[in-house]
Amino acid sequence: MRHGEVETAERSGTQGLGLTVFHQGRRGVASTASFDPAAIERLVDEAMMIAQHVQPDPDAGLPPAHSLAYTGISPLLYADSPRDPDTLLTAAMLADRIASEVAGVDPRLRVGESVAVATEGLWALATSDGFCRSIRRSNDGRWSVMLAQDEGGSTSAFCQSQERSVDALAPPEQLVRTAADRARAALGARAIASRRCPVLFAPRTAMSLVSDLAGALTGMAQFRGMTFLRAPLGQRVAASHLNLTEDPFEPLGLASGPFDSEGIAGSARPILRGGVVEGLFLSSVSGRKLGMTSTGNADGFYNLRLTSSAPGGDWPAMLRMLGTGLVVTEFQGGKTDPASGNWTQAIKGLWVEGGEIVHAVTDVTLAGQMPAMLNGIRAVGDDVERQGALRTGSILIDEMQVGGKA
Amino acid sequence: MNGGVLALDRARTALLGPAGLDEAAISRALGELAGGGADLADLYFETTAMRSWRLEGGRVTQGGFSMRQGVGARAAHGGQVSFAHSADMREGALLDTVRAVRTLARHGDAGRHGQGIALTRNPRVHHLYPAIETVAVEDAAAWIALLRRIDELARMQDGRIVQVDANVRATDTTILVAEADGLLAGDVRPMTILSLVVIAEQDGRRARGQAGLGRRAGLGGFDAASTEQMVAAANMALNNLDAIPAPVGEMPVVLGPGYPGVLFHEAVGHGLEGDHHRKRLSAFDGKVGERIAAPGVTVIDDGGLSGRLGSLGIDDEGTPPDRTVLVEDGVLTGLMQDRLNAGLMNARSTGNGRRQSYAHLPMPRMTNTFLANGTADPADIIASIDRGIYATEFDGGQVDIVTGRFNFTTIEAWLVEKGRLVAPVRGATLIGVGHEALRHISMIGNDLAFDTGMATCGKQGQSLHVSVGQPTLRIDRMMVGGQAG
Repeated sequence: MRHGEVETAERSGTQGLGLTVFHQGRRGVASTASFDPAAIERLVDEAMMIAQHVQPDPDAGLPPAHSLAYTGISPLLYADSPRDPDTLLTAAMLADRIASEVAGVDPRLRVGESVAVATEGLWALATSDGFCRSIRRSNDGRWSVMLAQDEGGSTSAFCQSQERSVDALAPPEQLVRTAADRARAALGARAIASRRCPVLFAPRTAMSLVSDLAGALTGMAQFRGMTFLRAPLGQRVAASHLNLTEDPFEPLGLASGPFDSEGIAGSARPILRGGVVEGLFLSSVSGRKLGMTSTGNADGFYNLRLTSSAPGGDWPAMLRMLGTGLVVTEFQGGKTDPASGNWTQAIKGLWVEGGEIVHAVTDVTLAGQMPAMLNGIRAVGDDVERQGALRTGSILIDEMQVGGKA
Repeated sequence: MNGGVLALDRARTALLGPAGLDEAAISRALGELAGGGADLADLYFETTAMRSWRLEGGRVTQGGFSMRQGVGARAAHGGQVSFAHSADMREGALLDTVRAVRTLARHGDAGRHGQGIALTRNPRVHHLYPAIETVAVEDAAAWIALLRRIDELARMQDGRIVQVDANVRATDTTILVAEADGLLAGDVRPMTILSLVVIAEQDGRRARGQAGLGRRAGLGGFDAASTEQMVAAANMALNNLDAIPAPVGEMPVVLGPGYPGVLFHEAVGHGLEGDHHRKRLSAFDGKVGERIAAPGVTVIDDGGLSGRLGSLGIDDEGTPPDRTVLVEDGVLTGLMQDRLNAGLMNARSTGNGRRQSYAHLPMPRMTNTFLANGTADPADIIASIDRGIYATEFDGGQVDIVTGRFNFTTIEAWLVEKGRLVAPVRGATLIGVGHEALRHISMIGNDLAFDTGMATCGKQGQSLHVSVGQPTLRIDRMMVGGQAG
């Protein structure tokens, strides 16, 4: 919705069937979106044909039957919520109306789009070891975009809420006002000079650091050497006050699940304790490659939470702890090189002096090496936010290279 | 040859036959779809088969095959778009999908039934790419042999190459578009992508290199010379082994020919897509006809270039591709349009209506976007730099449409001092604002080249293959975000 009008109304329907065959240590994979008998026959032929050409790998093959989660905890992933077109239309209209009201009292603001989305899905896994379980999931999303403009230019910002139940969603008022605040905060941006200084990552940017860390600890990254943390188990790879925990079973968690696509359950466990790596994210194949067993992470990580035993605090407290330095509110684009740990980003943010926000910044780059950044984390805030699998507060890093044109 | 009746016949065999559909059924469904008084309505049928092979550490470790098909139904009333799609294309499912669109639209009399729409078969043929199948089962051994050659070539480069990961992915897509104005058009789109990632190691340091080749061709499209091109990945990794931290700050930058043309895709192209202008979101809003760059800067989007992955015989709305001059000699001249936005802006479609799949809505999207040749000798451009960066490969890029701020990250670049390449530098993010960067272009080379067929473009969650290109060029001032303070 935008300006009282529906821009796009959409109904999606997808289906798919995937087949993995193992034949004498050779693996073949095929999938189809058509469930016609002819398509399913072709699926089988193709998977068998591929298995003939792939070279045998002693580490491939189904996981041992005893490791499968035939029974066990099944976290709640589906909530019965209204998801009909009228509910979504009403939600988007309400957000759009609030956006018009908010923009109506501040001439710098313009209304962007307001979106409501609902998804329901069913997924089932059956294996030749007699495993057969299914998972029903629901997902509700709302977001609002606001634009702000002054003599210096325009900027846009958004705020979203993603949950498995409508009840848990952030109210539209909050989404619109947060988007408006973010857009306004970016006005009056000024260039800063290049320097080395402390950097505070707001929660939604801090998440990407957690994601890069977790990515470096996945089995295939370890096996292929595409990681800046080699042979990390038992090693201290981050500041000693940091803990990272994984929980597959959080009710209605966005990355919860009773088992992975091999049928193996994950476990609630520490990944990082006191900065020391205690766990990797392994599938049965990557586990065997590394001489270990699957951790039930064939599809990646479950819900992760970064915490710190060092003093944190709310957002104002984190700004005070930053003192004079850079706040990162948004990434505009960049890259983490998994092999070398070279980290580089273009960012949007705020310049802070004496714990007070002075102005927004523009045309700023930020660069570092992931291992040094992880060790340089000084504090994690209490201002915890969640996005998908990741939960963290803001992250304060002692020093990074900031690039600016001033 | 492709398109025309040939492609329609292929579409009938691949798409309609298995679903038990015929043109009469499409005509009925389209009539129902447009029956609520829609200004624009279309059905888009698509089937895709994909095959992949992976050679890792000299062993065939993975193979894959997937088939996907479905239909997307769209109806627009003014700027309000209703859209539904289904993987099931049988007539009952098709009608259900069409009715879902009518319900979502909440326009006109939902109970009113539309008349069937008489369809005219598009007779237009094209020669941009052949109507061939690339995923034939019997080619498996040949694909694997091709990957082995690439693997061997990469390892032969240097003993420090410790890992080689070679992949091939072949895709066959057949589409059929039926528009409410009666157009029925088809296209067969083969595509093969080779990609290579290598790791070099020395004294505990590791560096990554990558290369790829994408073509609208099958196995026959890759000769010995093309596999040798893949060795670029090994050279990149070896260079990056010795990379020093990149400098930080504003400095002159020389961008090499080919993929660095993504600068114009990001800094110019996205801001000239019709939808961003209709919604008045673009930083270039209201600037058509104004000078936005130095004389000599001409930027073109051309969907009809032979051999480029952004080329299309027809776009995903059945419109043949245009050559749209976006910037001519420094002056902003054109926008890229799809049918919806063209209709609302009193313009005509430029053949830029593209969609990721049947399950996505079409939008104005780029095809092959490039900076036209200048006259400078590339060596002179590098020699002109006192202290700066020479970047030859990037890993993608982004732009904020509203502010025009763009960025991209180098994966192969050198520090230049006194006109000479001093040392390779680690990946650094280069940033700028579209209209400012354009004004700071001071030299344009005569060596126009395009990317190797690996360029993709993301917009509102939809990813598409495009092509980008440029000759070597110098930008006098650009912000380089390295680690060396």
